[in-house]
Amino acid sequence: MIVELGHYALIIAFATALVQSVLPVVGARRGDQSLMAIGDTSAIVSFLLVLLSFCALTYAYVVSDFSVQNVYENSHSLKPMIYKISGVWGNHEGSMLLWILILVFFSALVAFFGRNLPKSLRANVLAVQGWITTAFLLFVLQTSNPFARIVPTPMEGRDLNPILQDIGLAIHPPLLYLGYVGFSICFSFAVAALIEGRIDAAWARWVRPWTLTAWIFLTGGIAMGSYWAYYELGWGGWWFWDPVENASFMPWLAGTALLHSALVMEKREALKIWTILLAIITFSLSLLGTFLVRSGVLTSVHTFASDPSRGVFILAILVVFIGGAFGLFALRATSLKSGGLFQPISREGGLVLNNLFLTTATATVLIGTLYPLLLETVTGEKISVGPPFFNLTFGPLMIPLLLAVPFGPLLAWKRGDLLGAAQRLYVAAGLALLAGLIVVYFTTGAPVLAALALAIGFFVMFGAVTDLALRAGVGKVSAGIAMRRLAGLPRSAFGGAMAHFGLGVMVIGIVAVTAFETEAVAEMAPGETIDAGGYTLRFDSMDPNQGPNYVEDVGHFTVLRNGAEISRMDSAKRVYTARQMPTTEAGILTRGFSQLYVSLGDFVTPEGAEAPTAIVVRVWWKPQVTLIWIGSVIMAFGGLISLSDRRLRVGAPKPHRQRKAGGPVMEPAE
Amino acid sequence: MMFWVLAAVLTALVTIALLLPLARGKRAGSDAEYDVEVYSDQLAEVERDRAGGLIGTDEAAHARAEIGRRLLRAKKAQSAATDRRGGGRLTTAARLCVLVGVPLLGMSVYLATGAPGLPDQPLASRATTPEEASPIATMIAQAEQHLEENPDDGRGWDVLAPIYLRAGQLQEARTAYLNAIRLLGPTSARQSGYGEALVALASGVVTEEAAVAFQSARELQPDEPKAAFYLALALEQEGRDDRALEAFRRLAEQSPPDAPWMTVVNEKIAALGGQVADISPSGLPPLSLLPGAEADANADSGDVASVQPPLQPGPSQDDLAAARDMSDEERQAMIETMVGNLDRRLRENPQDIEGWIRLVRSYGVLGQPQQAEEALARGLAVFPEESEDGRALLAVARQVGVDRLEEEGAQ
Repeated sequence: MIVELGHYALIIAFATALVQSVLPVVGARRGDQSLMAIGDTSAIVSFLLVLLSFCALTYAYVVSDFSVQNVYENSHSLKPMIYKISGVWGNHEGSMLLWILILVFFSALVAFFGRNLPKSLRANVLAVQGWITTAFLLFVLQTSNPFARIVPTPMEGRDLNPILQDIGLAIHPPLLYLGYVGFSICFSFAVAALIEGRIDAAWARWVRPWTLTAWIFLTGGIAMGSYWAYYELGWGGWWFWDPVENASFMPWLAGTALLHSALVMEKREALKIWTILLAIITFSLSLLGTFLVRSGVLTSVHTFASDPSRGVFILAILVVFIGGAFGLFALRATSLKSGGLFQPISREGGLVLNNLFLTTATATVLIGTLYPLLLETVTGEKISVGPPFFNLTFGPLMIPLLLAVPFGPLLAWKRGDLLGAAQRLYVAAGLALLAGLIVVYFTTGAPVLAALALAIGFFVMFGAVTDLALRAGVGKVSAGIAMRRLAGLPRSAFGGAMAHFGLGVMVIGIVAVTAFETEAVAEMAPGETIDAGGYTLRFDSMDPNQGPNYVEDVGHFTVLRNGAEISRMDSAKRVYTARQMPTTEAGILTRGFSQLYVSLGDFVTPEGAEAPTAIVVRVWWKPQVTLIWIGSVIMAFGGLISLSDRRLRVGAPKPHRQRKAGGPVMEPAE
Repeated sequence: MMFWVLAAVLTALVTIALLLPLARGKRAGSDAEYDVEVYSDQLAEVERDRAGGLIGTDEAAHARAEIGRRLLRAKKAQSAATDRRGGGRLTTAARLCVLVGVPLLGMSVYLATGAPGLPDQPLASRATTPEEASPIATMIAQAEQHLEENPDDGRGWDVLAPIYLRAGQLQEARTAYLNAIRLLGPTSARQSGYGEALVALASGVVTEEAAVAFQSARELQPDEPKAAFYLALALEQEGRDDRALEAFRRLAEQSPPDAPWMTVVNEKIAALGGQVADISPSGLPPLSLLPGAEADANADSGDVASVQPPLQPGPSQDDLAAARDMSDEERQAMIETMVGNLDRRLRENPQDIEGWIRLVRSYGVLGQPQQAEEALARGLAVFPEESEDGRALLAVARQVGVDRLEEEGAQ
C-alpha cells in the first residue's frame, strides 16, 4: 500500500506541476495576484508529493520489496543497508526520481525564500520550473516508472551493479544532480526575465547565490566522481575524458563562466544579456548531460537505460527547452536594456576574458564529446575521441586562463591598471617560479615543461594570497591594522581568493601526477618484491574471503622503505555472486599528498601446474595525486564561504580622475 | 480499502492547498517597489563599506551617484505603475481547473498505470508468514541460520546443498557441496551434486572441473545415474556423438523404465539419431533430473538471479506424468500447446530470458528449426547479443543446432 501511495503521489505531483506551469503565467500576464500566488503553493505541494513518493520507493528498497520491479532489478536482500538505500538512485528510474526531487526542492526554496522577489518575476520563475517538472514527471511516468510491480513476487533481487556498490555512489549522483538541477533555477530566472522583457534589480541579486550553490555542488560531485573512478575502476586514472564525465564537466565550465559574469552583473549591472545567455547555455548543457547519460546513447558504467523510447523522450525535452529558450532569447534579447559600461582593461574586462576562455573550453569539450556521436549517426563510422584530443585543445586554452586568474581580482572595476596589477604580482610570480624550480630540482629527470606548469599552479596560489594581502594593506600599514583589516574583509573576498587558491592546488596535483607518475607491472609469487616510487612492496599472501554479497581473493602486501616495514596494504579481486560480476578493489596507501596504488590482475598458472602460482600485480606511484581532490574541495569550500556572505554586494566604480598621490590604494570591496 | 481512503485524503489535501491562494485576493506591491527596495539596500551597503574603510570616499561618492540614478528611475516607474486586480471570471476558471483537473487527472492516470490493492511485500513479512512463504525459502533460511552458528556442521551443508541447487542459488550450492565434501568426505551423491552445480553455473556446459567431479562420483558408485548422464552429455558436447549415444543407451538400459530421467535420456538418444519411443518438451535435462525439478525447469539457464519461485512456471509434474500416459499424437499436441502458451506469454512479456531460452530449446527439440530461429531472433531483439543474457541464449541455441547466422541468411 505504501508503494502504491508513492506511485499515486507521483501522479498527483504531475497534476500539481501542470497547475504550476499554467496558472502563474496567466496570473503574471493579467496582473492577477491570486493566480500568481498559486505558483508558491503548487511548488511547495509538488515538493511534498515527490518527497512522499521518493520515501515510498526508499521504503520498498529498505524492506526488500521485490514486488516492485525496480527493487527486484537493482537490489538484493543481503546487500548492506547503505547500498540498499543508495541503490534507490543507482538505477535509471530511481535516479530520475531523485533528479525530480531535487528540482522540486529548488522550486520550493524559491517559493519559500522568494518573498522579496517581485511577484510577477516569482510567478514566472516558478512557472518555468513547473514546465521542467511537468516534462520530467511525464517522462518518468511514461517511460521509466519506478513503481511498476511484478506478480508473482520473486524471492530474491538481481542485486545492484557491483561497481556501483560503493560509498562513492551513495554521494556522487546526489551532489551532481544538486549541481545540474541547481542551474535550472538560473535558467528559470533567465527565461522569466525574457518573458517579462525586463531585468529587475533583484534578478542579479538572486541569480548569483543560486549559481554559486549549484556550482559548489557540481564541483563536489565531479571531484567525488573522479575520486570514485580512481579507486573503484582499478586503473588508477583520475580523469578519462569519458563522455559521461564530459557531460558533467561542460555544465561546470559554463557554470563557472556564469558565476563570474553574474558577479559582474550583480555589482555593476553590466553583461546582463550575456549572463542570461550563459544561464540558458549552462542549464542546456545540464539537460544535454542528462540526455547523454540517460538515453543510453553512450555506453558506459553510468548508463542504466537501454530503451530507445527513453532517449527519444529526453531528446524531445531537450529540443523543446533548449530550442524554446534560445528562440525566446533571439526574440526578446534586443528589447532588454544592457547595463553599465566599462573599459577593456578593468575587472569587468578580466571577467569577460575569463568568460571567453571558459566558453571556448566548453565548446571544445562539447565538440570532442558529440563529434563521434554525430559521425556515427551520419556515416556509421565509429571513432573515439580520447585524451590526446582534449590534451591538445583543452590544455593550451587553460594556460593563458590560469595565468590571467591572479590579475583579475587586482584590477579595479570599470577602469583598471594592468601595469599596476602586474607590479603587485611580481613577488607572487617570482616565488612561483622558484617553487617550480625547487620541486623539479629535487625530482631527478623531470621535464622542464613540468617546472613551468608547476610554476603556473604556484602562481595561481600565491596570486590569491597576494590579493588578500593587498586588500589588508600588508606592508603599507602596521601588522596589527593589517590583521584587523584582513578580518574585516567581506567573506566573499575570502571565498573568491580561496577558490582561486584551490584551483592552483589542483593544477599542481594534476601536473605532478602527470609528469612524475611511475608504474610497475610484474607477475608476483608470494615473497617476491616490486619497487615503485622509492618504496618496495612485498607480496605476502593471497587469501580467499567472503563478504555479505561477494567472495573475494585478497592479496596482502607489506610496504618497505629502505628495508624497514612502514605499512601493510590489501588489494582484492571480488566476484559479486548474484551477478557473477568481477571487480577489482585497489589497495591505496597515502603518504603525505602522494599515493601508492596497487591493483591485481589475472592469476598466472604455469603450464602443467594445477593451481595458479603467481598473480599479475600493477603498482603505481602517484605523487601529489590527492592535491587534485583537495584542490577541488578547497574550491567548493571557497564557494561556500562566499555564499555565506549574505550582504548585498556593490562594486564601487573607480573614479575617472587621477588618484591622490601617496594616499593608500583602496581596493574595491568584493 | 485503506489505500483508497488515503489516496482520497491525499487528493483532497492537495486540491484544498491549491485552492487556498485562489480564495484570498491579497494586494502586493508592484515590481517597481522591489527595485526601489534593492537600490536603497545598495546605498546602505555603500555607506557601510565606506565607514569600514573598504572603499574610499571618492569611490563611495561615485557609487552613490550611480545607484542614485537607478533609484530615481525606479521611483518614477513606481509612481506610474497601477495595480491591477484579476477579474472574477478568471479566478473561477482557475478554481474549476484545480477542483476538477487535479483529482480527475490523478485518478485516471493512476487507474491506467497503477496496481491498486496490491499490498507491499517486504521480504521479512513474506518469510515469517508460512502460508505466503515458499517452503524452500523457509528451509533455506532456517538452515542458513543454523550454519551461521555452526559453520563446521558438515551434515547441515550436506542437507542445504541440494536445496540451494533446486532453488537456483548456484554459487551457494557450489560452496555448500564443497564444504560438505571437505567436512564429511566425498560420496557419489555429493560429487555428482557438486558437478551439477558447476554445470548449471556454466550455463549447461559440462566443464572439465565438473567432469572430474562426475568421474569421481562414478568411481565411488559405478551405477550413479546422474554422473552417467552428465558424462554422456560431456561426450555429446565434445562432439563425440557416437560415444555419447552409446553412453546414453547404457544409462537407459541400467535405469528402470519409469525413472524420472528417462524422458530426457530418451530425448537425447533421439536427438543423437537413436531409436526411442518417448519425447519430452524440455530440451535441457540437467536440473530436471532432480526430484521436484519441475519447478526449476527455468532455473538452469545460467541466469542465477532468477530463483524461487519462478516467474513463469514450466510444465508441472502432473503434466509430465500425463504426457507419459498419452498416445504419441496426444502427447505431441499437448507439448505443442505448452510451447505455444510459452510463445504467447513471451509476446506479451518479452523481458524474460529464461522463457526465451526455454522456447528456443523447445522448438529445437521439437524439430522445428524455423520457429526456433524466429524465437531466437525475437529473444535477441530484447536481450542484445552483447549482453550476458543474450550470450546465454545464443549458447543454448547452438546446443540445439540453431544459429543466428542462419537466421540472418534466411531473412
